[in-house]
Amino acid sequence: MRWRVIGVVAAILLCGWYTVANFFPAETRRATALLPDHVMRLGLDLQGGIHWVLSPDLDVALAHELDVLGGGIRAVLEEQKKIEPKRIAVEDGRLVVEMASPAELAAVREAAKETRVLREVDAAEQTVRFVLTDEWTREVRERSIEQVLEVLRRRVDDPTQGVQESIITRQGADRVLIQIPGGQLDREQARGLLRQTGFLEFKLVLDRADTEELLRAKYPDGLPPDTEIVFEREKGLPNQKPEERRILAAYLVKKTPDLTGDFLTDARSSLDNRHGWIVNFAFNSEGARRFAKLTGENRGKQLAILLDRQVYSAPMLNERIGGGRGFIHGRFSSRDAADLAVILRAGSLPIPVQIEEERTVGPALGADSIRRGINASILGLLLVAGFAIWYYRLAGVYATIALVANLIMLIGVMSMTRATLTMPGIAGLVLTLGMAIDANVIIYERIREELLVGKSPRAAIRTGFNKALWTILDAQITTLLVALVLYQYGTGPIKGFAVSLSVGIVTSVFTSIVIPRLLFEYYPGNRPVQALSI
Amino acid sequence: MFRTIVPSDTKIDFLRYARPATAVSILIILAGLASALIQGVRWGIDFAGGTEMQVRFEAGTNFEEGAVRSAVEAAGVEEPTVVRFGEPGSGEFQIRFAGGGEGEEKQGQLVDRIRSVLTEQVGPVEIDRVEYVGPKVGEELRRDGAKAMLLAWLLILAYVGLRFNLQFAPGGVVALIHDVLVTAAIWQLLGQTFDLQVLAALLAIVGYSINDTIVIFDRIRELVATHTTVDIHELTNRAVNQTLSRTILTSLLTLLAVIALLALAGPVVFPFTASMGIGVVVGVYSTVYIASPVMLAMERWRGRRSAKRQQATRKHPKAAARA
Repeated sequence: MRWRVIGVVAAILLCGWYTVANFFPAETRRATALLPDHVMRLGLDLQGGIHWVLSPDLDVALAHELDVLGGGIRAVLEEQKKIEPKRIAVEDGRLVVEMASPAELAAVREAAKETRVLREVDAAEQTVRFVLTDEWTREVRERSIEQVLEVLRRRVDDPTQGVQESIITRQGADRVLIQIPGGQLDREQARGLLRQTGFLEFKLVLDRADTEELLRAKYPDGLPPDTEIVFEREKGLPNQKPEERRILAAYLVKKTPDLTGDFLTDARSSLDNRHGWIVNFAFNSEGARRFAKLTGENRGKQLAILLDRQVYSAPMLNERIGGGRGFIHGRFSSRDAADLAVILRAGSLPIPVQIEEERTVGPALGADSIRRGINASILGLLLVAGFAIWYYRLAGVYATIALVANLIMLIGVMSMTRATLTMPGIAGLVLTLGMAIDANVIIYERIREELLVGKSPRAAIRTGFNKALWTILDAQITTLLVALVLYQYGTGPIKGFAVSLSVGIVTSVFTSIVIPRLLFEYYPGNRPVQALSI
Repeated sequence: MFRTIVPSDTKIDFLRYARPATAVSILIILAGLASALIQGVRWGIDFAGGTEMQVRFEAGTNFEEGAVRSAVEAAGVEEPTVVRFGEPGSGEFQIRFAGGGEGEEKQGQLVDRIRSVLTEQVGPVEIDRVEYVGPKVGEELRRDGAKAMLLAWLLILAYVGLRFNLQFAPGGVVALIHDVLVTAAIWQLLGQTFDLQVLAALLAIVGYSINDTIVIFDRIRELVATHTTVDIHELTNRAVNQTLSRTILTSLLTLLAVIALLALAGPVVFPFTASMGIGVVVGVYSTVYIASPVMLAMERWRGRRSAKRQQATRKHPKAAARA
């Protein structure tokens, strides 16, 4: 008995500690060791914010991939076979290659076969049409989604935006979920993030030093005209802001880029015998021409590759790079190379995204909802407890104690697990109050029946609790099943309802059975009472 | 000696009213169905797709529903629904219209245009909420909603079948389907909109209203075990009466929580709380009038069948007595 009491009290105190923490601002919680760090997250409908489900236009990505492959085939035909294709184009999601004579189609097929990702769909006299193989289609779609995620992540987490606790993640097979809480960006600004393209630049390095001070020291009369200093920084965690990372090198470059990502069509990592992990990239024809010129004229110099004004690498130019293809090496790990490839692609391929679903709530409405939610919870508690005490008297007081304990445990458990509280979630919480007391009604009605049959209070209490147990479990398990179904299929705020309902059901089984039972053992306990206040 | 709202010794012959009660339920469901077919179902944007905005005018603005509607129309929206939202005089309106989002650009611009036209024609306005659901997502949500409902029914059927025997399960599930259909029919007849919140409420009702039914079935089982001589019709009536006060009390307490939500939680969760409230009341009714009669009907049907079988074989007189 004593140990059970200690256990219950300890559990409630622990949950209470977490519950109380929800009422303090985050800074206060972090500053003191007296409060736990974990509290409930507030859903966007309560703290305000933007919830978007986007779908990247994958057809554009697929057409783009075909375009790149077409460029490759053209290069093979022109450089190796020395034949000119009449026309290479992407039409209706197909790569169309038209040659001057039917005899040349064999060379086209051979070149296409070498890509290993093209499948012929049909052919006419002088033309042959290809699509991507199913496997490669999947691969491209996959890559495109990752790419959109990467670009959007970098954009939303950009230091100039100063957005905190944003969520950018994949939803299902081909959707992107973005959540930006609490009025940090208004709808306008946020929409801008979807429009704006990544900013990739290639700049020749005029000078370099390990730090900005050392570099500036070389130019006592000020930097040369039209130049600026850019930094290469240590690779950091994805969520870390660039300024917080250590500077590895400072470069002096021209303000205007020698080449931009506008001309880049593709980038991907691969393993090279000599250099280890490298990143291959490809330009379109105009980019290829400029790149060949730039690299040919500046052998022995470093070329800084900047994305959104940060230097990602500054490889040494060893030779003229023709054909619009090149690679970057620099003791990359496989991860580094893959990351760099993602970033290069991200800058180079802005797939249009469409908003499929939006749920944006202004901070004022969110604050209003919280206030209303708290008021409704208090009223709900008062009504339910008031009725229970009026109806069951002392036993009603016990049930009310259990009810309050349930509320504390519910909020406590949700805080520990950092669950998200939404407005429907608050509704679920209030509803749980009404449902949790069901268990006590079942028990008390049973006890009353036993008393009416003439059993002693002690025996009636024992029978009441024992016989009611399974009935209570049945009742709560069915509700729990439904809550889990709702969690599985619900979205956004509705999911919050499923969360608070399921947690509330589990905690209520504990509180509404264990706590009144202990209280009954405390009073009347073994006392020879004539009538039970129930 | 106890405070009661339902006398503990009621002896109401509930089963006598089973037929008229069933008729009333079927009538409500048919009326709802007719309304759905004739007037059409008002699907919320969650399921139909479209845009929903909640706007708030500054206090002191002369806001008229008609003025807001014509301003929204002036912004280029066809057939918008504009309704006053929240407390009277709060200056809050809900604007809902179909479509509004082919292409990210268009949707964003539309909301901005509505804002500027409203400011121009009605007064300074704050956009509190914008919800847009595209046609693809709407379709998915519809499909998921139907799946969720079916899965919930199946799980409950499985659970009740597992815990009790299968003769009880159909009664419980008929009651569940009844609760969802009647609640939905009433919601439809009230001219309300079906959205995700209403679906969540209907699901919660599925999980909740089976509780009362389980209690009665539990009691019937207990009585059947101890009173072998009394016929099951009488025992069922007795079980419903004995658990009546519990059935009404638990629902009343849940209803109190719903009332607190209706009173204070505000218009944002109104669809959920209101439909939940209806569902709780319907749940009590179905527990008393629908679940037990169906169970009894099943029982009689089985009884007749086993009696027939017995006449044919004349081998197990004991089994016949039990049935």
